[in-house]
Amino acid sequence: MIKRIVFIFLIIVSCSKDKSDKVDVENNVEDATFINVSSDLTGIDFSNDLQSNGQLNIIEYLYYYNGGGVAVGDINNDGLDDIYLSANEKPDKLYLNLGNLKFKDISVSSGISQDATWSTGVAMADVNNDGFLDIYVCKVGNYKGLKATNELYINNGDNTFKEEAKAYGVDFSGFSTQSAFFDYDNDGDLDMYLMNHSVHSPYSYGNAELRSKSDALAGDVFYENISENNQTKFVDVTKQTGIYNSAIGYGLAIATADINNDGFMDVYIGNDFHENDYLYINNGNKTFTESSDKYFNHTSRFTMGVDIADITNDGNLDIVTLDMMPYKSDIFLKSGGEDSDKVNQIKKSFGFQQQYARNHLQLNKGNHFVDASLITDTYATDWSWSPLIFDYNNDGLNDLYITNGIYKRPNDLDYINYLSNFDFAKYAETTQDSLELKLINTMPMLNLPNALLKNKGDLAFERTLVDENNTSTYSNGAAFSDLDLDGDLDIVVNNINAKASVLENKTSQSTDNNYLSINLFESNKSLNTTGAKIYVYADGKQFFKEQSTIKGFLSSSTRQVHFGLGNITKVDSLRVIWKDRTQSLLTDLKLNTIVNVNKGETTNYNYESKKEIPFNVFNYEHKENSFLDYEREALIPENLSIEGPSVVQADFNADGLQDLFIGGARNQAPVLYMQNKNGTYSIKDIPAFHLDNIYEDVDAIAFDIDADNDLDIYALSAGNDHKEGDPMLEDRVYINDGNGNFTKLNSNLLATNGGTVSNFDFDNDGLQDLFIGNRSIPGAYGLSPFSFILKNKGQNSFEIVLKRRFGMLTDSKWADLDNDGNIELIIAGDWMPILIFSYNKSTGKFDNKTQQFGLDKTYGMWNVINVADINEDGKLDIIAGNTGLNFKWKASVEKPVKIYLDDFDKNEQLDQLIFYDFFGTYVPFASKDKLVQQIPSLKKKFLNYNTFSKVETVFDLTQKNEADILETKYIYELRSMIYLNNGTNFKPQPLPKQAQLSTIEDVLVDNNQIIFTGNYYGFTTELGQSSSNPGGVISSSVKDNFEIVKSLHLPKDFSGRKIVKLKEGQYLVIGNNGKSYLVN
Amino acid sequence: MKHLKFGIYSFLIMAILASCSKPAESIQVSPELFHKSVDKVMEIQIHDIFSPPVASRIFVYPNIAAYEILAQKSSKFKSLVGTVNELTAIPKVDSTQQVNLELSALIAHMEVSKSLIFSEEKMEVLQDSLYNVWEQANKVEFDASKAYAFDVVNHIKQYMSTDNYNQTRTMAKFTVDTDDPTRWQPTPPSYMDGIEPHWNKIRPFLLDSAQQFKPEPHPEFSLDKDSKFYEELMEVYNVSQNVTEEGDESEPVQIARFWDCNPFVSVTRGHFMFATKKISPGAHWIGITKIASRKTNSNVEETVNAYTKTSLAIADAFISCWDEKYRSNLIRPETVINQHIDPDWLPILQTPPFPEYSSGHSVVSGAASVVLTEIFGDNFYFEDDTEIPFGLPIRSFKSFYDASTEAALSRLYGGIHYRAAIDNGLKQGKNLGHFAADKLNL
Repeated sequence: MIKRIVFIFLIIVSCSKDKSDKVDVENNVEDATFINVSSDLTGIDFSNDLQSNGQLNIIEYLYYYNGGGVAVGDINNDGLDDIYLSANEKPDKLYLNLGNLKFKDISVSSGISQDATWSTGVAMADVNNDGFLDIYVCKVGNYKGLKATNELYINNGDNTFKEEAKAYGVDFSGFSTQSAFFDYDNDGDLDMYLMNHSVHSPYSYGNAELRSKSDALAGDVFYENISENNQTKFVDVTKQTGIYNSAIGYGLAIATADINNDGFMDVYIGNDFHENDYLYINNGNKTFTESSDKYFNHTSRFTMGVDIADITNDGNLDIVTLDMMPYKSDIFLKSGGEDSDKVNQIKKSFGFQQQYARNHLQLNKGNHFVDASLITDTYATDWSWSPLIFDYNNDGLNDLYITNGIYKRPNDLDYINYLSNFDFAKYAETTQDSLELKLINTMPMLNLPNALLKNKGDLAFERTLVDENNTSTYSNGAAFSDLDLDGDLDIVVNNINAKASVLENKTSQSTDNNYLSINLFESNKSLNTTGAKIYVYADGKQFFKEQSTIKGFLSSSTRQVHFGLGNITKVDSLRVIWKDRTQSLLTDLKLNTIVNVNKGETTNYNYESKKEIPFNVFNYEHKENSFLDYEREALIPENLSIEGPSVVQADFNADGLQDLFIGGARNQAPVLYMQNKNGTYSIKDIPAFHLDNIYEDVDAIAFDIDADNDLDIYALSAGNDHKEGDPMLEDRVYINDGNGNFTKLNSNLLATNGGTVSNFDFDNDGLQDLFIGNRSIPGAYGLSPFSFILKNKGQNSFEIVLKRRFGMLTDSKWADLDNDGNIELIIAGDWMPILIFSYNKSTGKFDNKTQQFGLDKTYGMWNVINVADINEDGKLDIIAGNTGLNFKWKASVEKPVKIYLDDFDKNEQLDQLIFYDFFGTYVPFASKDKLVQQIPSLKKKFLNYNTFSKVETVFDLTQKNEADILETKYIYELRSMIYLNNGTNFKPQPLPKQAQLSTIEDVLVDNNQIIFTGNYYGFTTELGQSSSNPGGVISSSVKDNFEIVKSLHLPKDFSGRKIVKLKEGQYLVIGNNGKSYLVN
Repeated sequence: MKHLKFGIYSFLIMAILASCSKPAESIQVSPELFHKSVDKVMEIQIHDIFSPPVASRIFVYPNIAAYEILAQKSSKFKSLVGTVNELTAIPKVDSTQQVNLELSALIAHMEVSKSLIFSEEKMEVLQDSLYNVWEQANKVEFDASKAYAFDVVNHIKQYMSTDNYNQTRTMAKFTVDTDDPTRWQPTPPSYMDGIEPHWNKIRPFLLDSAQQFKPEPHPEFSLDKDSKFYEELMEVYNVSQNVTEEGDESEPVQIARFWDCNPFVSVTRGHFMFATKKISPGAHWIGITKIASRKTNSNVEETVNAYTKTSLAIADAFISCWDEKYRSNLIRPETVINQHIDPDWLPILQTPPFPEYSSGHSVVSGAASVVLTEIFGDNFYFEDDTEIPFGLPIRSFKSFYDASTEAALSRLYGGIHYRAAIDNGLKQGKNLGHFAADKLNL
């Protein structure tokens, strides 16, 4: 056996040597941890075979290829988990585990129905509290000739079952997907959430209100277990619980967990299509409150599977939901991507929440979740069904196993085009069946290996091979269990038109990692411990799992709770918190064994009552005007029209108190807040500001422009919505009378789309000079506008000393970085490095010293720079806020994001062609559909998506070489960084991972801590909003080792722009298009 | 199918003729070959999915090229230079060369068409088969005619390139103001962006400006039950409810479907959404032009004349109509009815992706019917088989006006237009048609 494996290994390695350096899991053969054990050895010869016919096929039933489920559980209490596999067009099968991965088919003898009704999800649970696992099988009944009712097999205790769905009151007949048995009212018996799906195709999105309309076949149902006199009975309490049961619920994913850690089980329902996913928070009084909006900024769109477990080992339950985003570049370019920005906007106006067609990894932040799927690269695993979160390699970190594959690929855009050219005139009643079969036969097929994502800690996952043969399958339901009791978790997978896979885990043989497996019993026989929480304490760490079986897709996994412990050799203690709010504490545990925990003696456990701390709102609300930049420039990645507000903190009336000037968006006047003696702020009415409400402010400074010893204001106008030179872009100067009364200076100022303004007396003549950095040339995203260094000549006159196209600027700072007495100007922006220009007193010129300072490779999407001596070594460091890593684009010096700027179709408008590295291959950012709209000649060149899917370079697209293109710009760095000054140059150091979860828009350094705010909603839907971290505080306890020490208390979707310190321990965080908050 | 057989038949005849090896007989070009070229353009338009305004542009330039070539030697038809805006004289034919003008006209027609569509190889299939035959029949004449045709093609391409089409490709998309209840919103199921919001910036062919035939304003949007707008809204709703009750075989449903002419209907089935394609309203009237030309046994220059003048009127009709559409930006019945009257209501035809007022089909049908009446006469009975390839029956009409009235009304039955868009649209089209006919000396 072992020899054979080595042989295969060699062949595969030698065959794939010539492959390029693409990220290709197929090459990591040595990582294969699982062996796909053949059915001859296991005895499991089940195969979910589907044969489309005219009556029933993927056109008639949109979930025709959703496949079958797997349930593993010990039906005869012999310590070995047995396997139930559900089939769609064939009988289901039940296999008894004989040990050593040998199984016996007992489908017939056990009394499991052997008809060929359409089975979907399967669950094992002790429904009647008799100590034996029963089985509930969901069916599609009542549709296109399918007739069936869901079945409840009650375990007789002797490897036989009796179907009693009707007697128990759960003989539902409709479009069932999966059930979840859990104790919703903590009364010791198992209640049931029955998730059903819809069968109609969405024609129009309708209104989200439709979810309040009941549907008897497609709507979800809640059954309460009412056991009296040892007689178990379920009653339908759907209405009372407050769950939705409508036809817009395309329920495909279900998992239960105590999301908010209050002792009551909550429910996650993943819906396909435009309907939101539901998060039902258990109110503890037999009702639920749907709270997805409160907990998530966005969810997956075509949600197909879900699992809930602690991925970061912080004691909170995280959520993984699956979608259908491809990871192979050619498939990606051939499949439909995200909604257009327009459709995205329409769905929102209909009341639907933000969704993206990609996997989500929702990190639990206590009272809400933030998505980390992009930073972890877990967002794309193709058409994915079953996520299973478990520690396959026993290293103490939960990994992610994902099944994928759609037998026929209906979202292939060439196929959709083919359909469009199909002669539907012949689509009459009589010929419909044969035509549909013809259509289905031409539908593309593509099978891929399932995905195994190894958790490396600190939000990093590595794609690794599942089994040594890298078998490609169409896999749906899956479940894990230590089937051979060797101390690692094996996997069973239900495949379409192929034998079910039994994946034997070889971890226990190949590693020295330790583990602990736990069986829970309430009394010696009761199995109803679902929802119990288990904490393992060891080596100063905490490992947490909740016992739950319904996870993945259509499936239920083992009841045994398995902890991988890596090289930990001693467990301090193990705590079980039971559903009835009691706990058991165990010590002296032997590693690498199965521990049976009997409830026995317990002590009370009290859940911390969590009070919601209200946000501390400051009386300023920024109101962004509506302008969609990408309607004017369809190929750009971001909206530059939502950049404000500006803020200046200064003492305007010379009373020793710092006042605030806040500049608003277009149609919102600037506001002056005068600080009162008691630390409060009063708005001072300034008529000149009201007259100027038509300007959009993005930056401002206060300095004494007229040398009369008070602080005047230079307000930088922007908006990206008007052409350069338009009066709506003209900057303004407001002259202070010394008492904080401002009048507008009558002069002609720059009318450009501003990005940053800063001041410094660089020539030491007592007059403040200016740097005005511009953001863009409106209508020509990507090109660098002119920016200016202006020398103050006195009497309100300025002279241009430097005019240059630096880039699309966002921020500028003046500081003497090398302590040589010459001031440096530091500037940053999009598609450019952090630039450093040093003023040379002798020549009176600014010298570019970027390379000398070692920053020439820092091309990024910089939003903010700050200069401070963060490590207290007497040298000024640079802290720079970037887009972060939780982003679809990935960038490095070797594989930068590239933007090609040229008028490729010679129609006098700039076209922006962006290419980025997509899992090892460069792809164009804009879809084919978008590109051909902008550059119609491309439609002739790429008549189908297949030819387009091969495009990797700008030459492939335009036949133009890079060298012949007007301008090319790059992004090498997306991380927010600290550049530590070592005297002559800078040493790069990324901010901690948690600070890379979203964009960083402003940074303040105070008491040697970095206080930052971020989130950005200006990216196009294809890139997605950046909303996973509104703000936090970074500090270093050990020198130069920076860590997040806390999150700022801000709403989860807050889009921060500016931070100002108001007083010791209090900061004002001002948001874009929303409220502002005080935090400490 | 008919045309295909004809093609093989003529191929055989020509092959036989060629094999008789009589030296250099002149190549015969039949009007049917022009119909074939036009049909090919239509077929490719459907495949490539061009929106109705763009489709109208694709018809007109090849016709102008062919027409100008023939007009040089025609006693009946004068050049359009001076009539069609900014059109300049094509290169003169060199009389020392053995150029067959009818052949040059056909070659130019196919060649200009090819440059306007995407799937060039489909046009090349037709070209190659014809070129082969001609080359064998009379190489000298063919080469000379082709060379001259290409000179003209370049001239027309140059003319085409200045009509602002390329510039309008990258102009801003139409921004939907979701807060204004009267404004157009994208409609189900694909919620496409409003198409061609800048079509009024395309250089018109005969009109002085896009606004020249601006229709009177539509009734002001109002949900007041006594208002004119509401009355018209309810008419759409009630007509649709009645028609639905009467069923698919009823006359109104037949009419609605016959004149649907929506090049891109999205269909949702199961997991996917795809388009079923049809010809555009302009193409339907080009089809009627073919029927009339055939019925009157028009010769080559008469056929080209009919195509050219009808397509000029249609192209300007789209410019005029689109100018109004994005001026009035009126909301579609489907959106208002779903919002305020019946959330589940579906129109019989799929709402096309642009504002409501005025009705494109009405304007185009009005304009085309006037020009065709001027060319072929009033009370011209014809049987319209244009929609047979799309599974629709033949309908017969007493006259072109009879057809245009029915085409306009079909939009009400289809549930995609209010009455005012139809009545005022037809008026707008007819006024434009008369202006065009006058200018073209019909």
